[in-house]
Amino acid sequence: MTDRDDLDMLAAEYVLGTLDAEERTRVAQRRQDDATLNDLIEAWEARLAPLGDEIQEVAPGPDLLQRIEARLDALEAERAAATRATDSDAPRDNVHQLQRRLRFWQWGTGLATAAALVLAVLLLAPFPPQETREPFVAVFQQNDQQPAFMVSVELPSRDLHVQAVAAEPLPDKSYQMWIKEDSLGPKPRSVGVLNDDLSLAANALSEYSPELLKRATFGISVEPPGGSPTGQPTGPAIHGYLYPATRNL
Amino acid sequence: MHHASDPASDPAAGTSTGPDAMPGAITREQLEELLQGVADQDRQAFARLYEATAAKLYGAVLRILKHEQRTDDVVQEVYVTIWQKAEQFDALKASPITWMVTIARNRAIDELRRRPTARHEPADILDQTASDTPSARERLEGEEDAQRLYACLEELEGRRQDMVRLAYLEGWSRADLAEHFEQPVNTVKTWLHRALKQLKGCLAS
Repeated sequence: MTDRDDLDMLAAEYVLGTLDAEERTRVAQRRQDDATLNDLIEAWEARLAPLGDEIQEVAPGPDLLQRIEARLDALEAERAAATRATDSDAPRDNVHQLQRRLRFWQWGTGLATAAALVLAVLLLAPFPPQETREPFVAVFQQNDQQPAFMVSVELPSRDLHVQAVAAEPLPDKSYQMWIKEDSLGPKPRSVGVLNDDLSLAANALSEYSPELLKRATFGISVEPPGGSPTGQPTGPAIHGYLYPATRNL
Repeated sequence: MHHASDPASDPAAGTSTGPDAMPGAITREQLEELLQGVADQDRQAFARLYEATAAKLYGAVLRILKHEQRTDDVVQEVYVTIWQKAEQFDALKASPITWMVTIARNRAIDELRRRPTARHEPADILDQTASDTPSARERLEGEEDAQRLYACLEELEGRRQDMVRLAYLEGWSRADLAEHFEQPVNTVKTWLHRALKQLKGCLAS
């Protein structure tokens, strides 16, 4: 068997899907720089494509599009933030970290809770990182136009300030804020149920260290009155977007 | 670009009526147009593309993962990828739906390999995918290509046909196939390679 045959079979099995995780990763990486392999893969994709006709349609849940659009909004906000940050490397690293944390939050909740899929996500973004006395600000977005909440945290005092922007008190519902960070375990922890005027005690984050707060992600979900009965977000949720706070924002 | 006010040219017109709307209601050209819109970061085009294709992609991923929550997560990432990579779509190389199904299958299989689910026994699966059930086939590809592939699949020895289907549609790995067909993994690999080469030769003839 020639090398070319081997490569063709690797491409074929990659497309067919029979390779193991490690082999798949290797092939996916290699095709980026190996035009021959990439061409072979595309040829196999074309050959086997008619098998896809056999896939039967299954309608997704009605809110999946909304979830995807919220994700796109978050990515656009990240990109905008990254563009703003191009004059310095450190903030750019921050954006990468933030993107990772955003993904972590989404996948983490996917594993931990079945219901609350889309939480508002807030990341405390130290921008620029050396300016530790600045308040860290994030915006919880409700739709394309209107921020639902703005949240700021003063470090190192950890004073929390939640401000409702477009969000309004809901009849027979409460808003609840959550924190999530690796060292706290895989599930979000409640920061507190927002008061009737949609405020939250300034010291609600005092048990967490400033360093943890910088790494943590936050969410706001809509819960039964008095807060989640399960101790975990049950949703429905406000869609959240990422706005790394800069001095200029 | 199309005009949303004209229902006859609205690619989503045939698919917004209910969950069993078929991508058959939308033409390849319309999908190409929508993908072009997505490449230009047109969110309306993206929503239409989603409406027209989500059931197909969701079906593809769910069949591999057999788990709704994980399917939700993967399909979400698939559409984010489509949004980000739409400008790389090349209409000369693939049809829009093939390009999208390819992204979905790849993500689903990656996810399955990372965290395998219980493998389902294939008796009903193979019935489901029998090539002689035209209702299950929605002709996303050119009819001619499909007929050739199925003619060539028919020429494969029965178990090897099944292997190709189980891998492509259900996401079975070599190890899954080895277990089911009670053969060593290396034998399965050899069978797969023979089947794939035979298919390639048949399609090229």
